Amino acid sequence: MSALARRSGTLVAALALVALYVWAIVGLELRGVNLAERWHQAAAIFRIMVTEPEWTYLWKCGSAGCVSELGQKILETLQMALVGTTIGAVLAVPFGFLAARNVAGVRGSRAGKFILNAIRAFPEVVLALMLLKAVGLGPFAGVLTMGIHSIGMLGKLYAEVVEGIDRDVLEAMAACGANRSQAIAFGILPQVLPEFASFAIYRFEINVRAAAILGMVGAGGIGTPLIFAVNNRDWGRIGVILLGIIVVVAAVDAVSSYLRRKLV
Amino acid sequence: MNLTIPDGQFVVIVGLSGAGKSTLLRCINRLVEPTEGQILADGVDITRLGEAELRAWRTKVGMIFQNFNLVNRSTVLRNVLAGRLGHTGTLRSLLGLFPRSDVELALRCLERVQLRDKAFSRADQLSGGQKQRVAIARALCQEPKILLADEPVASLDPPTSHLIMQDLKRICREDGLTVLVNLHFIDLAVEYADRIIGLRAGEVVFDGPVSDVTEKTFEEIYGCSIRPDDFRGRGDR
Repeated sequence: MSALARRSGTLVAALALVALYVWAIVGLELRGVNLAERWHQAAAIFRIMVTEPEWTYLWKCGSAGCVSELGQKILETLQMALVGTTIGAVLAVPFGFLAARNVAGVRGSRAGKFILNAIRAFPEVVLALMLLKAVGLGPFAGVLTMGIHSIGMLGKLYAEVVEGIDRDVLEAMAACGANRSQAIAFGILPQVLPEFASFAIYRFEINVRAAAILGMVGAGGIGTPLIFAVNNRDWGRIGVILLGIIVVVAAVDAVSSYLRRKLV
Repeated sequence: MNLTIPDGQFVVIVGLSGAGKSTLLRCINRLVEPTEGQILADGVDITRLGEAELRAWRTKVGMIFQNFNLVNRSTVLRNVLAGRLGHTGTLRSLLGLFPRSDVELALRCLERVQLRDKAFSRADQLSGGQKQRVAIARALCQEPKILLADEPVASLDPPTSHLIMQDLKRICREDGLTVLVNLHFIDLAVEYADRIIGLRAGEVVFDGPVSDVTEKTFEEIYGCSIRPDDFRGRGDR
């Protein structure tokens, strides 16, 4: 190919890319936004959040002693994530095996993965709203949502772990006269459990963050005071809550990556 | 093919890869299902055993493999205890509640392969030769009558190969085990076998005591002249 042809090819690709962006932006009708005029309003809100956080929400001492409303809600969030993740991590195990090609066969695996994708396709908030109808407002709905939703992701990751196991060990187990469940317990579980646990810890991290959203629809945790504060345009309190979330997510992230390094 | 193997014999099966050595061995514990024919052990046809009977038969047949087939993330002791699975109830074994006598047996088996002090190490921390010794201990822990070894030294270096073969031979002599070993190294076969069976394309082309074997025998078995690759050598010890 000549240099000219190559260059005109690049040009065509660049023009096509520009056309793609124009199409997307025009399609979204991103007009009527007077960013230059209204920018200062967004900046003012951000300034309040940063400079005038409502510290009393974090720590308040009165005649009845000291309380940390934020701390209580964050603990509730962590408790929800712990219980919800555990439910999901356990329930995902059978799904993981049933979706693994080397256990369920090609067709079984396809069916299993379809179910897992369907679970994941449900937005967490939709699932939470459905469960709120069933169990009422509060953390229980959030726990159930996390439990069910985690199955989708963990089941799929577990299946990949199971697909990567060393099958030769099973041959050795069979040669010892082991039955099927013994072969699984001695030959397969030691291979997969550390990685299952590692993914479950990772999912715990995700669930801590998800809890903020779940609380906004009334499913308990840190999201509940956050949505109240948003509705009241109480930017100082929002600032404190977001700060709390950032600190907790960073701490959970550090602990979880330490644990995961130890495990695998 | 038609073979009769008396108790306590140390048989080495030689042949090119693809000659059917592994298949022959795996038919004996039915890791491979024979399509036709009979395999008789004490007058019982192995090929007709039901599931439970088959498991009972397999407890009497220990097996070691080219790639050791240990559970790398488990401890050495737990790997050896897997040899007791066929003798232990499902619930008991799933809970890891092996009888004390089984644990003592497993430790004794490890002692016989000089690895008693590694009992609580993870299997993936061992060298290749040590892993194969653990696999031998696992097979011994079944208290078998027959030992099958499928290319037990193909993944090991020459000095280690000899050590493993010596251990295998010594232990099997001590326990009076019948042993079938697949090997493709001529010198190892001649050094350790009582009897050599040569396979080519699924047929027995030689069967006789090791004293009848010459280089010409191997040329017939392999269907070509012998090359240096066909010898393991001693290595530098």
